[in-house]
Amino acid sequence: MGSLNPDPTRGADAGASDLKAWPGGPKTYAGTTPGRGPHPDSGAVRTDSGAFRPAGGDRGDTSPLSAADDSGNGFMASSLDFLINWGRKNSLWPMPLGLSCCGIELMAMIGPKFDLARFGAEAARFTPRQCDLLIVAGTLTWKMARACRQIYDQMPDPKWVIAMGVCSSSGGMYDSYAVVQGVDSILPVDVYVPGCPPRPDAVIDGIMKLQKKIEREHPHRRLLRVPDSVEERGHEMILRAPNAAVEVEPHTSSTHEKTTYFVDQSARKPEEGAR
Amino acid sequence: MTPQAPARAAPAERRAATIARVAGALDGVLHEFVETRDGMPTLIVPRDGLVEVLSRLKSRASFEQATFVTAVDHLPATPRFEVVHQLWSLTHADRVRLKTRIAVDAAWVPTCTHLWPGAAFMERECYDMFGIHFEGHHNLRRLLMPEEYEHHPLRKEFPHQGIEPDRLYRAWEKGRREEFFERRAKEDSK
Repeated sequence: MGSLNPDPTRGADAGASDLKAWPGGPKTYAGTTPGRGPHPDSGAVRTDSGAFRPAGGDRGDTSPLSAADDSGNGFMASSLDFLINWGRKNSLWPMPLGLSCCGIELMAMIGPKFDLARFGAEAARFTPRQCDLLIVAGTLTWKMARACRQIYDQMPDPKWVIAMGVCSSSGGMYDSYAVVQGVDSILPVDVYVPGCPPRPDAVIDGIMKLQKKIEREHPHRRLLRVPDSVEERGHEMILRAPNAAVEVEPHTSSTHEKTTYFVDQSARKPEEGAR
Repeated sequence: MTPQAPARAAPAERRAATIARVAGALDGVLHEFVETRDGMPTLIVPRDGLVEVLSRLKSRASFEQATFVTAVDHLPATPRFEVVHQLWSLTHADRVRLKTRIAVDAAWVPTCTHLWPGAAFMERECYDMFGIHFEGHHNLRRLLMPEEYEHHPLRKEFPHQGIEPDRLYRAWEKGRREEFFERRAKEDSK
């Protein structure tokens, strides 16, 4: 099923055990980029199981009726965040980049039987300029990677990326000279959906996970010019800090070894054994 | 009722008939029949006589179609490459296979696109994957890999994970970013 970026430092099943740590059923804490801890402002605490829990108990909701959300923002800011996020998450416009068999499942997902319209994301557009959710569905080759990156760059901000299927998540079975070993070596990915190809309901699950993640964003910071953290959203930083360090790390023999985002490297914690 | 297909001859007889027809068409041209495990009539042809053999097979033995043109890398054997032409006769419903052995330091064969224009793509793919040049091909560019790619992936010495597989992408991306920032600086200075 779709999952948020699994914490690379804590093994493959870390996410599952984190879910169990939540009283009252599985909840996804998506306020941070996984693997890097919560946002410094969040006041989140680490539970015994190692999961980060938002300040304010296991409330888990982002209702404006709460005095403040887990980020420690005030009533106005969190209300604004709630409103903007509510709008964004319920009207995602997917850009279907169907590259192989995953594209067929993607079509099924948008079609009447699985009906992505129930989640407000059925309006697939074939121009990136009208989209905010890039679904990379299938095997991305290095030759196609240029087109994929161009599509991503043409999408207006805010934008999110779902890597659908194992090929786009990690290269899958194509451990080959021609295939990108995970689209996260060229794009910042929000949700990885495993499967070969994943069933449409798995991708819908991924979109629901993404909606949870969007709930936890802080769009007011940009609106009100509040300084943001680089760790919050890597790809926003790309647009905002053009003069930040953008040195590409030299490629090693296997792309599995290194994930390169174009973010300010100095502001980023080193990741041991990423991916 | 569809008309009953005429009874086909036994495989051995059909093979003998094909070989006889091919040998008749190639009378006086250097060639050599070899046995293969799949039993398909197979010829070893020297590079110099390849065009002559192919054109005779097309005109005299009515092999109207080039089913595929490809190559085999026999590293570390010498000569290293074997270019394989496989032809299909629509008239007689049989096939013939031609093998041309070439060395890695003279990796070229004459093209057969003047006989079968459809072979053009197959020769391009063969060039892309093995680096074998088809002399006389009107448009011998890479087919599958990017045109700036330096390697020939199906050569045996090529590692299957590639040699810096993202190099071209990164170079492209770097160029794009530089262009973007230049344009931005220009706009800012206005």
